[in-house]
Amino acid sequence: MNPIFLLVVILIPLLGGVLIPFLPFRSRKQFEIYTEVVVIMASALVFLLMLKRPSDPFTLIYFTGDLTISFRMDGLSMVFGGMIAFLWPFATLYAYEYMRHEHNPVGPRHERSFFCFYTMTYGITLGIALAANMLTMYCFYEMLTLITVPLIMYTMSREAILATRKYMYYSLGGAGFAFIGLIFMIVYGNINFQYGGTLNPDLIGNRKNLLLLIYVMAFFGFGVKAAVCPLNSWLPQAGVAPTPVTALLHAVAVVKSGAFAILRLTYFCFGITFLRGTWAQYLVMTAAMITIVYGCSRAVKETHFKRRLAYSTISNLSYILFGATIMTPLGLTAALAHMLFHGIMKITSFFCAGAVICQTGRTYVTQLDGLGKKMPRVFGIFALSSFALMGVPGLCGFISKWYLASAAFESNQVLACFGVGALLISAILTAIYMLTIVIRAFFPKQGFDESSLEGIHDPGLYMLIPLFVFSAVIIYFGIHSVSLLDFLTKVGNGLI
Amino acid sequence: MSVLLLPILLPVLFGIVLLICPEKWFAKKDTGRKKLCILAATALVLTGLLVVRTLFLKDVGEYYILFYLTRKLPVQFHLDGIGKIFATVISVVWLLAGIFSFEYTKHEHKEKRYYGFYLILYGVLNGLCFAGNLVTFYLFYELMTLVSMPLVLHEQTREALIAGLKYLFYSFAGAYMVLFGLFCLSRFCLSNTLTFGAGGILDPTLVEGHETLLLVTAFLMILGFGVKAGMFPMHAWLTAAHPIAPAPASAVLSGVIVKAGVLGVIRVVYYLFGTQFLRGTWVQYTWLTLALLTVLMGSMMAYLEKGFKKRLAYSTVSQVSYILFGLALMEPAGFTGAVLHSVFHAIIKCALFLTAGAVIYKTGKKNVDDYRGIGKEMPITIWSFTFISLALIGIPPASGFISKWYLAAGALESGIRGFAYAGPVILLISALLTAGYLLPITVRGFLPGADFDYTKLEKKEPSALMTVPLVILAVLAVLLGMFPNGLAQMISRIAAAVM
Repeated sequence: MNPIFLLVVILIPLLGGVLIPFLPFRSRKQFEIYTEVVVIMASALVFLLMLKRPSDPFTLIYFTGDLTISFRMDGLSMVFGGMIAFLWPFATLYAYEYMRHEHNPVGPRHERSFFCFYTMTYGITLGIALAANMLTMYCFYEMLTLITVPLIMYTMSREAILATRKYMYYSLGGAGFAFIGLIFMIVYGNINFQYGGTLNPDLIGNRKNLLLLIYVMAFFGFGVKAAVCPLNSWLPQAGVAPTPVTALLHAVAVVKSGAFAILRLTYFCFGITFLRGTWAQYLVMTAAMITIVYGCSRAVKETHFKRRLAYSTISNLSYILFGATIMTPLGLTAALAHMLFHGIMKITSFFCAGAVICQTGRTYVTQLDGLGKKMPRVFGIFALSSFALMGVPGLCGFISKWYLASAAFESNQVLACFGVGALLISAILTAIYMLTIVIRAFFPKQGFDESSLEGIHDPGLYMLIPLFVFSAVIIYFGIHSVSLLDFLTKVGNGLI
Repeated sequence: MSVLLLPILLPVLFGIVLLICPEKWFAKKDTGRKKLCILAATALVLTGLLVVRTLFLKDVGEYYILFYLTRKLPVQFHLDGIGKIFATVISVVWLLAGIFSFEYTKHEHKEKRYYGFYLILYGVLNGLCFAGNLVTFYLFYELMTLVSMPLVLHEQTREALIAGLKYLFYSFAGAYMVLFGLFCLSRFCLSNTLTFGAGGILDPTLVEGHETLLLVTAFLMILGFGVKAGMFPMHAWLTAAHPIAPAPASAVLSGVIVKAGVLGVIRVVYYLFGTQFLRGTWVQYTWLTLALLTVLMGSMMAYLEKGFKKRLAYSTVSQVSYILFGLALMEPAGFTGAVLHSVFHAIIKCALFLTAGAVIYKTGKKNVDDYRGIGKEMPITIWSFTFISLALIGIPPASGFISKWYLAAGALESGIRGFAYAGPVILLISALLTAGYLLPITVRGFLPGADFDYTKLEKKEPSALMTVPLVILAVLAVLLGMFPNGLAQMISRIAAAVM
């Protein structure tokens, strides 16, 4: 397939989104159909590109030397891009119904610009996925921060503005550190992504420790988006955004971009042969392990529904980072598996939370008593996603945890074995903070006043269809993951 | 293959139907309840028959794979002696407790939900017995916790909710300790799908140099399954959850679900690690200590406790550690005693909780001190209770005597320094305490004393639906003690195969 389509697939949602405020839509229905078509076209093209991969990269701009903006579809791109492409149409559908209920102080124009930025974010995330070198990825990474700012700020409340400011400072600051990594890659190697790393051993000489330090800086720089300790306080605060934003962006697109960038940095830039066994590996692995336990602990104490899920995301992202810091091919496979599965599980949980907020306006976990009887489908699916996050076998979460633990034990490093311990502690904490919600909903205390639940019912089809589809995927990959995991193992070994 | 899958799927399907069918199917006052009970009874009897059918099959050598979770983790089923024994006991207890509950739940709410989860749990437990490898076992173990939780929480009072959550989190903590083993072990085994093999599946060449890791893993797994079996120090959930559930649910929780933990320990020690690896290690000694500690502590707390159901819960804590002690000895006689006691205790504890249920149902009194004269009000119930108590204390010819005999013999044979004598001594003290916490109920029930007001007595015998299961269980408890040879021989053969 012609490499130009790599650019086209990024431009479709970008241009399609930019046009939204300018096109004269005669009704909401027209506008909904237009946006959904744009998103589906882009997703279809992504899947087509995955099936018929262009063998060459596409270069958009040549700067000097080998500094270019180019795009390529390799194994990692297929995984991240495929996940985004699958989830975005459903998220857009969900957002339609959600935004209809959301108290909108400014009216339809405001909503149009929401979807303008929402769709453009799709294009930019694809840009990160398809980036063929560090410079391209860095450019789109910065653009991602900027394009998501209006989305977090949407409600224009004081909390939203403060949350957005924090997000911007953290993200732009983090990207600055990542930029330093980019510069050193240009000097000591080559910015093109290549499995195994592109550092030139002759140029390194005795500056190994310097380069390790740069790696750690870049890791934490990208790690801001990936919510690694101690740089993750922006994420729970960003829960103030409307649920389609928190769900898709802060559980899937933005945070997974951070994790994706770290995977690229570790396996495709610096390379695991350079990094493995060094103090840098131990440092970043420890950071990941601390975040795993930290995220879950904060989640248990948190009573705000979406913030609890945000802390859960922080913890789960570090599962991916833990897999990445194991620095073996199996580690990469495990990280990718968890990236995919957690994306689905978390987006399901957030969508359920959003449906509850939409229908009842209740945002705190303590207000959810007895709702399971009135919204059985939503809470049933939430229960399913809880079991999946906990790692009950038969659902996809177990599979990715299995691979993470296998990678940890196979790597023969003592620290990795402690990492498995962190995973297990996190599992029991996950059980606590997810199941207490499920139990409250289905088994309210005796003497509970049912009349306070008048008029509450399950949300409409636009919200339920994505939920059902995602549940089916969670169950499917729980019991039949062999083909997908074989593909991911090949990607992990650099064969795709 | 279907022989193994049907007993699992049938009750699960019935249970799911019950859970999702609309309320109005069973809405009519009496006929609605009758329909519900008949449906549940059909499911129980059919499944029971299917399970009994497996008893007559020879030990099937093959392992049936249902599907692969990942390349190295198949969901696998297998029929062997231990599985058959546990499955049969589960079926007997489940049927009898089910019949009892048809009468008991008349005063409960949300019966449809109760029976739905009751049946699904039955299927899941059968899956546990027929599990052929660690992953399948772990899958059903997690499902079992999730599905039994609504039974604990059933009353939905504040205490019930707290007890249910405690149950959930202790159980999951235990399950995740086992998960550590699941993650760690496959690299060291002959079969990398962690399929159970009699005598253990560790590959000695691969184990070289990693003994510490493997011993820690074994200990974590024993502790993890020990949570479900109520071993000190993770027994706290048991004394909160078992009393608070409705009586037939307590009966199956104490009688059968704790045995799931025991089955897990058997599988880990005898079918995964193998006694050769664990005998004489710190793991064995720590395990023996914890088990004996629990035996003593459980009996003492039961003796001091005045609430009837909580007393029985402490009794469970103590008795199941008899079983764990027998398993920890890693001797054929100890193993035989342990498995025999699993069977007998399941029957006995089920009957004890059903008695408690009958008494509370009819009189509303929950404290042991209020049971004076109860034998005259409910003679059949309390006579059955008496025979069951004798069986638990271990008075020949009732069943408890046989299992304790084997346990003591196993302890003495093992010759482990200190434990060989401490074991039987502690078992004896515990037997005395057991008599202390069970017999006074009978004695004061039939012989309330001269200062008792006999005019206050009324006939309160519960209906046949409640008394018949009790009588059957009492008869079983005594008969199995008088004619234990068939069972004991079957278990001895299994013991020989694994050691």
